[in-house]
This record gives sequence, structure tokens and C-alpha cells, in this order.
Amino acid sequence: MITGTGITKVFKQRGGVLGAREVPALRGVDFAIAKGGAVSFIGESGSGKTTLGRIIAGLESHDAGEIVIDDVPMSSLSHRRRQPYFRRVQLIHQDPYSALNPTRTIHQTLEAPLKLRAKQTGRPRSWVDGRAAELLAMVGIDPGYVLPRYPHQLSGGMRQRVVIARALTMDPEVLVADEAVSMIDVSLRLGILALLKDLRERLNVGVLFITHDIATARYIGDDGELYVLYRGQVVERGATEKIIADPVHPYTQSLLSAIPVLHGLERPGAERVVPKEMQREGEPDAGCLFARRCPFSTERCANEMPVLARDQDIEQEYACFHPRRRSVIPVGVGE
Amino acid sequence: MSNETAAPGVRIRDLTVVYKTPAGELPAVRGVDLTLAPGTITGVVGESGSGKSTLALSLLNAVQPPGRIAAGSVEIDGLGDVLTLRGEDLRRARGRQVGYVFQAAQNSLNPLKTIGKQLLDLGRSHEVEDLRGLVRDAKDLLARMGMDGARVLDSYQHELSGGMRQRVGIMLALVLNAKVVVLDEPTTALDMITQATILRIIREVHEERALTTLVITHDVGAVAEVADSLAVMYGGRVVEHGPVTEVLGEARHPYTQGLIRAIPRLTGDLSLARALPGRPPTLGTLPTQGCVFRERCERRMEVCETDEPMAVNRDGRTVACHAADRHLTLIKRKEFV
Repeated sequence: MITGTGITKVFKQRGGVLGAREVPALRGVDFAIAKGGAVSFIGESGSGKTTLGRIIAGLESHDAGEIVIDDVPMSSLSHRRRQPYFRRVQLIHQDPYSALNPTRTIHQTLEAPLKLRAKQTGRPRSWVDGRAAELLAMVGIDPGYVLPRYPHQLSGGMRQRVVIARALTMDPEVLVADEAVSMIDVSLRLGILALLKDLRERLNVGVLFITHDIATARYIGDDGELYVLYRGQVVERGATEKIIADPVHPYTQSLLSAIPVLHGLERPGAERVVPKEMQREGEPDAGCLFARRCPFSTERCANEMPVLARDQDIEQEYACFHPRRRSVIPVGVGE
Repeated sequence: MSNETAAPGVRIRDLTVVYKTPAGELPAVRGVDLTLAPGTITGVVGESGSGKSTLALSLLNAVQPPGRIAAGSVEIDGLGDVLTLRGEDLRRARGRQVGYVFQAAQNSLNPLKTIGKQLLDLGRSHEVEDLRGLVRDAKDLLARMGMDGARVLDSYQHELSGGMRQRVGIMLALVLNAKVVVLDEPTTALDMITQATILRIIREVHEERALTTLVITHDVGAVAEVADSLAVMYGGRVVEHGPVTEVLGEARHPYTQGLIRAIPRLTGDLSLARALPGRPPTLGTLPTQGCVFRERCERRMEVCETDEPMAVNRDGRTVACHAADRHLTLIKRKEFV
């Protein structure tokens, strides 16, 4: 179990005509990822979703807040003593083309971390080769074919499976998949998503899925939880299926409305929401962060910042003064 | 040329483009027939190695070595066969008659010059006499796409967001009044809401300026939102082509059906969606005879091993498949029925 409370991160930009300025990347985010659970962070660039994923994987520091792994607060440990904890969280890179060392065969790529693992767990050296083959079989590729090959000899889909196998060498509790299918051919994406879902079930490994495409988040598992991030704040949170079917925050509704309609198979939702303006850099932080772009904002929104909370009529949590259900997602023709 | 000029038609006939490899010349595009009706948006969808970008470059006669256009013609109304153009004639046609928005527009802009400077370079290279008029047109186009024209022209590319650069790319492709516009992956790497905005802008500008537009993409959704007709490419062939609602609503080629089934959707039964087995072919793994899709096809027959299926046109739709040809069974995605 990994939890975070009040995670805050500020990026300091130097130079430029305005001189130094601070850009809040995360504004006090709470989260929890259970063993075997599925959590998705959804948002556009600048939402903080990738930064949060990197903080959870121990690859980035944060300025305030606490991360707790298996009941141990990370702030209580030295940098060195934290490492074994963060090793339980493994990051799957977005780009399977640059994530693997081109000068090493897949065998060499898997052997190094497995040797380390063998040492940590007191297993014999002979365990390493068998485990490498086992992991590759687990991610759905033929070890005999892949092990002696170099990354450039494999397709994008195969490489991404190797990257996942490498992440599994450390017996992680959580896999962090940041846009893990965006560079994979369309016809093969569902295969990778199905693999992540399968690993959840077979290994009881949690999956943190980071994406800008809400539709793919469904395929990690229908029991998943969804966090919608906007400019470093969680604006809506709840069961994935619930938020897709019944979003109440206008930003979530804008994201869902932006998903292309497959004309011929679907027709657009009746109440699609389009933001009034495009996102700009250096927006003011007063009031609701989405207020300027929100078609439903009022004076209150411009002055007061809504906090993430739940009320009795709505199942999910949201940060909005004017929550309202709207039918924004495409409807199947004939439904 | 004024905006009122009728949109030109484009006819690609029997186009074959080969690439030189250690294993000999291999076809990236083979025997493609595709007509872009005047004033329409045609979407070409394909995965990596389908030949879609090579096809797009052929419209500019811009296939680079080791590639070579081996056969065929690309007729554009008012211009003739682009493939016979050489030297200055060809250079002038690019930009003037055919506008091109390159994949990842952010990488096709010069990082050392302001957008305005690049606009003037473009104007001079095409002997535009009224450069002030050109700047005015550029500002109008940028304003049309929701941007502050003067500010954008004074900016360097790194000062603009991905969505803004994409719109600058569209402006540069249209500012010389090209009537045929090719957009290669116009929304790749853009956020969802920005993508929706860009697609809406493409559609609006296309209609206002009476263009004939070709959109190349791997994303069926992006095409579904913007195109009138949809061509599906696989292994260098156009395997299916027709009105977008019909191709998506009742796909006839097994590849199109599989591709649609593989798109993650917001609704519908999760268990019915699945990836296509196997993987897309590369130049080296393309079979030399028979159907290029047969190895991944659930409806393959004996004839698919030996004979390449011909593109057959019926009720305004083209399909190249032995199985679809024999019995026209329409398999819909079950969860939508």
C-alpha cells in the first residue's frame, strides 16, 4: 500500500523576461494505491500527473507532504534507507524505443537486475536465467526468440513488453505506467493494456496508469479508481466507470467531450462541454483554477478555490461549486 | 488565385513507391488508386509501415532516396500530373498549389528565426510581391484559429505550445492560398482538448476556403471526427475506402473491423474489445504474393495465400478482400448493435 498526503511540488523557473517565477506543479494531492489496485491519473500536459508519478516512483523530490509505503513514512528515513522501499515501485517508460539500452541483448538487460534480486533474496545464480525466461513468458513473448536479440530487432509492442518484464524483475508492488501505450501501434494497444490488467490479477501488483486518454483507463480494470488532475489539483476522484458515466466537474466533462466520436457507430453526447478558452501559461491562481475556461463559472469561482470533497447525492469526490451531471460521452448508434 | 476558386480534385492512379534495401527494391506503396473528391476531407488511416506517409509525400512528388516513385500518376486539377513536374515547376507547386503540414509541426519550424521571419522567407521564395499582404493574410488566418497574429509572428517556436505550433504549421501551409492541403498526423502528441480544437479548426478552415484536404493519421478517432471519407491502408495498399460513417458503421475489410474493435472506447463491453493478433508488417516482412493481411486475418482462405485481392468498387465503397468479396457479410461491433 502506498499513500500520499498533501503532496506539493513547486518548479522554480529562472531567467525569462519576468525573472524568476514559481510554477506550482502539485498543490497538496492525496492518493492511495492498494496492492493489486488500479489507479489512473488523467490530465493534460501541465496537470502534474507525470510529476506525481515520478515522485511516487522515488525519482523526484517533493516540497511538502508525506509518502507512506507499507506504513513507513518516507520522511523518517535517510535517502539511502528509502531506496529499498521505492524499488517496490517500478516505472514503465512511455517510449519503448529509448527505454532499453541498444547495445545490450534482452538477456543482458534482464540479467543485471535479476542478479541483484538473487543476491537480495539469497537465491542461487542459476535462478537468474530461468526467471528471465519466466518473466518474458509472463508478458506474452517467446523467451527463445527474444532473449538473444537486441532492442532494434524487436517491434514497438515487443519492446514495451520487455520494458514491463524488466520492471517485474524487482518484484514490485506497484507498476507506474506513464502513457505506456501512446507510442504503440493502435492495433496492439489493447494487448498491452490487457497485459497490465492480467498482471494485476496474477501477481497482485498495483498499477498506476498515467494518461491523457480516459478511454484507455477503463481497460486496466473495471474496479479502478480515477483521479482527474488540472494544474496540480485533483478536481474529481472516484470509481473509473462512475466518473466516465456520470462526470460532474466541467473539466472532466471537457476532457470526455474532446474524445473523438466514431461517426457511424456513435453519435455525440447531447451536452458536450467545450472550454471557453485554450490553456495559457502563467494563469492566475486566484479562485477555481479552471474558472477562466469554464463555461459555467460564476463570480464565486473567480474568487474562491473549491476543495475536493464529497456530498451526499454524488458518489465521487469533486472540487467544484456548481457540480452537475451532463451527458457528454458518445452514445452508440442504436442504443 | 482567390478564395472563390472551386476546390480541385486529386486522382492518384496505380501509384507504386519502392525503397532500396539490401534485399532489393521493396514496395512501400503498391498499386494505390485513390480519388480525393473536390472540396472533401479524406482521411488515410494506417499503422506504422502502412505506407501512409509515403503516399502523402507522393502528392508533393517529394519521396526522398532511397525511396523512388516507380509507377503511377497523381493528377491535380489545374496542375496536371505532379509526378512529371521537375525543378522550378515542382518547387513552385509546393506551397502554391499543395500545402503540406508536416508531422510534428514543432520540428519543422526553424528554431533560430521568428515565425514572421519564416513567413517572409516563404513569401520571397515564392516570389510574392505584396509581402505586407502576405503578413496580413497570415495574421487573419492566425486570428481565425484563435491566436494573436502579431504576437505569434514575433515569437520563436520555443515560445509557443504544441497546439500553437500546430496552428502555425497550418497557417504556413495555407497562406499562399494552396487549394490542396495535406496534413500528416496533425494531432499526434497534442492533449485531448487541444486535439479537439485543432480538428474543429481544420474542418472550419477547410470549408471556408473550399479546400481539398488529405489527413494522414494512425488515429481512427481523429479521422472519424473530421473526414468525409476514410481510406484504410495496410502493407502499402488501400484495403478499404468509402464514406467515413459507412466504413466505421459497417466495415467490410477484416483489418478495418479488427482496427475498430481495437480502439479503447468510453462505452461498451470491455470483453468484446481486443487487440489484433500479430503485428504490422515491415518492408522486409511483407509477403511477396497473396494478401498482405492474411497472417493476422481471422477469415483467411486458401486463395489468400496465392492471389492478391483486387480492389472492388461497390455502392461507392472500395474493398480489397477475397472474403468480403465472396459473401458480403457485414460484421458490426456487437456492443454497438
